[in-house]
Amino acid sequence: MSTFLDYKKEIMDAAHDEKIRVALSRAIKSYRANVMSAIAQFPHTIELAKEVKTIKESAISRMQQLIEIACNSIEANKGKAYIAKTGEEANKIIASIVGKGKLVVKAKSVTGEEIGLREYLEKQGNDVYETDLGEFIIQKLKSKPMHILAPAVHVPKEDVAKLLSKLTGKKIPPDNIDNMVTTARELLREKFFKADVGISGANVIAADTGTLFLIENEGNIRLATSAPPVHIALIGMEKVVSNLGEAFKVAEVTWRYANYTMPTYVSMISGPSKTGDIEKVITYGAHGPKEFHVIFLDGGRIELAKHPILCQALYCLRCGGCLYECPVFSVTAGHFGDKYFAGIGAVWAAMLSDNREKGAALAYTCLTCGRCKVRCPMNIDTPEMVVELRRLLTQS
Amino acid sequence: MEPKSKVTIPPGLLYIADNIKIKQNILGTSSELKAEWAKNLNLRKKSETIFFAGCGYQYTAGVESLMSLIRKMDKSLLGSELPMTLAGIQRKSGLDITNLYSKLTVKNKYAEGEVLIDAVKVLRNLGIDFGYLGDEEPCCGGLLHYAGMEQDFINNSNKLYDKFKSLGVKRIISIVPSCTYTLKNLITQHIRSSKIEVLHFSEVVLKNIQSVTLQFPRKVKVTYHDPCQLSRYLHLIDEPRRIIKAIKNVEFVETNWTNREWSTCCGGGAGFEAVFPELSEILAVNRAKELCDTGAEIIVTNCPGCLMQIKNGLKKLKNDTVKVLDLAQLISMAMESK
Repeated sequence: MSTFLDYKKEIMDAAHDEKIRVALSRAIKSYRANVMSAIAQFPHTIELAKEVKTIKESAISRMQQLIEIACNSIEANKGKAYIAKTGEEANKIIASIVGKGKLVVKAKSVTGEEIGLREYLEKQGNDVYETDLGEFIIQKLKSKPMHILAPAVHVPKEDVAKLLSKLTGKKIPPDNIDNMVTTARELLREKFFKADVGISGANVIAADTGTLFLIENEGNIRLATSAPPVHIALIGMEKVVSNLGEAFKVAEVTWRYANYTMPTYVSMISGPSKTGDIEKVITYGAHGPKEFHVIFLDGGRIELAKHPILCQALYCLRCGGCLYECPVFSVTAGHFGDKYFAGIGAVWAAMLSDNREKGAALAYTCLTCGRCKVRCPMNIDTPEMVVELRRLLTQS
Repeated sequence: MEPKSKVTIPPGLLYIADNIKIKQNILGTSSELKAEWAKNLNLRKKSETIFFAGCGYQYTAGVESLMSLIRKMDKSLLGSELPMTLAGIQRKSGLDITNLYSKLTVKNKYAEGEVLIDAVKVLRNLGIDFGYLGDEEPCCGGLLHYAGMEQDFINNSNKLYDKFKSLGVKRIISIVPSCTYTLKNLITQHIRSSKIEVLHFSEVVLKNIQSVTLQFPRKVKVTYHDPCQLSRYLHLIDEPRRIIKAIKNVEFVETNWTNREWSTCCGGGAGFEAVFPELSEILAVNRAKELCDTGAEIIVTNCPGCLMQIKNGLKKLKNDTVKVLDLAQLISMAMESK
């Protein structure tokens, strides 16, 4: 029981932390207003979400087959595709591509968080920079992400100013967010161009063309995936759909429920950079990366896909909407979580991270109130999954 | 893909689950005590239509005092050993300690089951004919399912269904949302042949409401809190609202955004309050705040758990002007006043 008691203490400390509560209540209010206006402006999203659910159901039911097709497409585009059975294997593959003593710029990746990629590469003697502003803040604070889309959702601006002042040696005023953003831009700018490797995830991947979709607003993913000579993408197998048309639909529903009418950037990457401008000879590594590596992570997904109830966790688009509707999350933030958060995070902890004690603790923290399901564009029945998980973990 | 190692169920839940398995109620109290609320109501046992009272409302005071006991001890012990100890004392001594405790601590000594008495009165006034199984009423066992003890739940479901069948039950009017969902949707997943019709109190009331005039004694602003199991599980969202709106002198107001299927959970549910009593209280306060922001003088809800949580939330907020009523109580008051 000690794991459970430690965990209980952690979430109770969080629940008494006024900072978390204030930051979260602001975030929830703004999320709800934004998602409502985004959907009002593009009302077809609701029907599209239903279609995407059938796309995901069908894709997850033949995930392995689609991954094979995706690998072939990527290889045909002169990229390199890998399948990693475990997180450990994925880390090893990536480390062998990166090498040692390299400068790495990283886009935010929940899958990277899942396998502890940054820490692994750092241990190999590499200098790794998180380039998403929220993730950069978290990295420098030596904290852990508290939301899948807004990792620093629990850090107030005063703390960000303090951190940036320390990093730059300059006095950053606590009320000037503009100044903070410029400072972070200056700190990271040269890293993108000096980096040996850029690492990203992907929001969805089309098997037939091998195309990765990357949704963002900051522009850090664009830079990290195009400026360095090598691009590595780590992707959970559940991100695959059969074709480009489906991938567009998945992407649109993802950003809409992540409360954006339209994100500033959507990158579609299918292979290494190339040119045919000199005598029509295809030459790789023009302005973008010369090498393009895609690692597909199984990490328990293939097994999970076979479970009639828990497979729903793989339909998740990672829009993060459910977290804003969870009453427990609203007072504890990511402390109610492991690598992924809240009720659905329990399934992830137990089944993919193989952390049963943590998975059970999270499963019993879920109220099974079901408001997450109302929000979820995939209508994922988290209460049903949580009860099934409780049964699996305690009765086997 | 059965996991390799077994993980323990939090003790707070095990305690309640044991009570259900051994005593057929969540508190582990005797079955005679369970039906005491109905002793002056002359409800007959044998009937095709029965009123299913469930555990929550019958032990309102008992559960409230048990919860305050759990909360107090949780703060000192972090809740690890407490429910186990409680269960141990209870079993060894044969003492009904929760009942004892409630008798000692309930200050404004309102009767156990007052909501149920009102519900029976309301149904009778609407001309509905029904019986009540009294001390033979089984526990729906829903909590066993939510605790993850599916085999125990299936066993309980079989026993319960056999009992209903042997007593000739054809229709159930259930009042606790969680029991209603369990009887209507969960048990039937295991007993597919069941032809027993399960209705929620609010459905029955709404269907027959035209036969009476409802008027609250004074002009009053009322808001409604949707219990999760009623709104999101059973989709009974309009029924309670239409009933409340049918009462004269009532001005109905909704919470901002957090209403209907978007209603915020009171912080109790699936035994959460027994595992995380302190967190549960924080969530109750948050929900009470949202409801108070409507400016309502009365918060109406429809679930013994929500009732307890919201009352406790208001207490923590030191708000003694806003009242919390069950829907059955509100209707009963509106029937009396004409």
